Amino acid sequence: MTSFIDYLIGGVSNGAVIALMAIALVLIWRATRVVNFAQVGQAMFTTFVALTVQTVTGSWVLALAVAMVAGAILGVIVQFLVLRPMRRADTSGAIIATFGVLIALQAAVGMIWGGDAQAYPQPFDNAGIVAFGRIWPISVYDLVVIGVTILLVVALSLLFTRTSIGLAMRASAFNPEVARLSGVRVSRVLTFGWALAGVVGAVAGVLVAPSSTVSPTTFDILLVFAFTAAVIGGLDSLVGAVALGVFAGLVISLVSGLSNSGNAPVVALILLALSLITKPDGVFGHHKARAV
Amino acid sequence: MTSLLRFPGGRLVGHAAFVIIIWFLIMRLNDSVDPLANYYIALVAMYATAMFGMVILVGLSGQVSLGNGALMAVGGYVFAVTSLHWQTVPILGVPWNGWWSMAFAAVGGIVVGLLIGGIAARLRGPYLAGLTLGLAVGVPAIANRFPELLGGESGLMITVPYPDGGYAPVEEEVFVDGTVEGQSGDASSVAVPSAEATVSPDDMLTLDNFPAADASAAAPSVDASVSPDDMLTLDNFPAADASAAAPSVDASSGDLGATDLSGAGDLIDAGFIIERWQAGLAITVACIAAFIALNLVRGRQGRVWRAVRDDSIAAAVSGISPAKAKVSAFAVSSLFAALAGAVFAQILSYVGPGAFGLGLSLSLLVGVVLGGRSSLLGAVIGGLLLVWLPEFVLSLAERGGWEDQITNNAPNLIYGLLVVLVVLLAPGGIVGSVQLLISKVTRRAPKGV
Repeated sequence: MTSFIDYLIGGVSNGAVIALMAIALVLIWRATRVVNFAQVGQAMFTTFVALTVQTVTGSWVLALAVAMVAGAILGVIVQFLVLRPMRRADTSGAIIATFGVLIALQAAVGMIWGGDAQAYPQPFDNAGIVAFGRIWPISVYDLVVIGVTILLVVALSLLFTRTSIGLAMRASAFNPEVARLSGVRVSRVLTFGWALAGVVGAVAGVLVAPSSTVSPTTFDILLVFAFTAAVIGGLDSLVGAVALGVFAGLVISLVSGLSNSGNAPVVALILLALSLITKPDGVFGHHKARAV
Repeated sequence: MTSLLRFPGGRLVGHAAFVIIIWFLIMRLNDSVDPLANYYIALVAMYATAMFGMVILVGLSGQVSLGNGALMAVGGYVFAVTSLHWQTVPILGVPWNGWWSMAFAAVGGIVVGLLIGGIAARLRGPYLAGLTLGLAVGVPAIANRFPELLGGESGLMITVPYPDGGYAPVEEEVFVDGTVEGQSGDASSVAVPSAEATVSPDDMLTLDNFPAADASAAAPSVDASVSPDDMLTLDNFPAADASAAAPSVDASSGDLGATDLSGAGDLIDAGFIIERWQAGLAITVACIAAFIALNLVRGRQGRVWRAVRDDSIAAAVSGISPAKAKVSAFAVSSLFAALAGAVFAQILSYVGPGAFGLGLSLSLLVGVVLGGRSSLLGAVIGGLLLVWLPEFVLSLAERGGWEDQITNNAPNLIYGLLVVLVVLLAPGGIVGSVQLLISKVTRRAPKGV
């Protein structure tokens, strides 16, 4: 029983990272009705930027900040060059194009930093915290990860509910035409959404990097987990993305702990298939009648 | 599903004659080139087989799938497991051979395709893409779940059933030992690193809080050289024969027009050449797939798929079941993927999670988008591109003295950028653009796709 609870506690920080990546997917979906499969490619790129900054300066905070800026820039670039010129009718095209960006970004990472897996230096103590006479399956670093995630989620919800840009984003997502008539510069707002998603994805990448190695394709599996969380959460809902992201982290930790880490993708696949069979619009999604 | 089998009679004969002529010409070409070119031809045919299915699924029925690499894995593993474990055919009692394994792979592909298609038919674009992405990552991981049966990370080496093992008699020559050994040696040198590479993605979220428990898991992932060229797992195969690459590429690209048959007359049978035999197998399978695909695409079923893709409500009003159409597209594409996977397993003499990873699924998508999303010819051109471009880049790199990490990643960078450009500027791919150009010159409306 203790091991069961330990696995659950240990899964929270993974869940936080999955939640962040799922938020990035949701932000873009809400704004543009595109699932940005290139998000992990962007995150991988910015994580390598962060790795470079950290090796040169030794500062984790500076590396994180640079990655966030790079994430925003990269998000804007992808939106400007790829998604904005896209014809609206071609939904298959948008999906394919984001995969094209993913392939290109992974290759670019491989070109610049090499294809080998590299270790990301651990910025904080990663040993289990000793308290109340036992070792807990959670480290200082995990607490930092969870803390940063909570901070980011709170900041995002404040942004959406308390600021005018947040209001404009919600209006543009809800009905771009009406938003435009009310004086919202929708295309600028969409670009801001892409930048924001890039920042969130970059944070997720930097946070997860020390607990694994980084290589061009390391984050593929994170994409699957995040997509699973975002879809089960409804793709529309930030709350859903966070809740299901953390939930996915717990499940993966349990599965990895009780059986074998190689089973995690299979479990994610089963979860995704089950949720899509039973609730094609997600648990937290806005249910809309859809023709045929 | 009965509508799947309703072939129009006149077309049937025409398509059969067309495919047989193509088969004959490419087989002659295959007999006239050197083993390395045979190997490339085999790869092109294998990709084309899988991408015929992608054309039907992505192009005609409008379902973007990343799972076809996983469906190839189904075919490959069924082939490997049945040919390794069964000596006689159940019930019938006749000796087992490779064709039976191929048949079982095909059946396995259809069954899995129907299963996934049943789920997929309910889903719209991005949901479907995400589910199939999960397939591409999850299905190869199943191999790790059953290490005794499926070989786990290191995969299964299979002995390809050679002609005397029951395949159609080709040449009754004794195997040249060196050829066979060289082949299996190459296969393992390709396969093993890519199989190890898959360790690290799986470990990604598991190395966190349990240092003691996970220390053993961490070790392999650190020294695993994750190859970014996983996408085309065979990139490094011809490294030793790079000098031979340039002429052979010309030869293999010649089979489009099938004009380069100058050397076809003098068949030099200096013994059994495994690459040539494998290429023959791949070509034959591709032609069978092409025949099925041609009949489906140009017949009633093709119109059904297009109707559902363009407007599923209007299709439903006309008495077409959109769900059935989507499921049947999945089943057919899955059949082709499984056949291609079985061929791939024989080309590599190996199946493993690394060979059938996300990279394979992505390269199928790349090939079909670049060649032409809704054209069977586009699938063949896409296959040529997938095989030719890495070799072309390699030859450029040798001339320019590029660093390895540039050379290894350049093909994928080009693929990625090309995919984006094609989607933005020429959604019809190469074939669609040429059709558009022709229609502009002749001032006729382009053929409907």
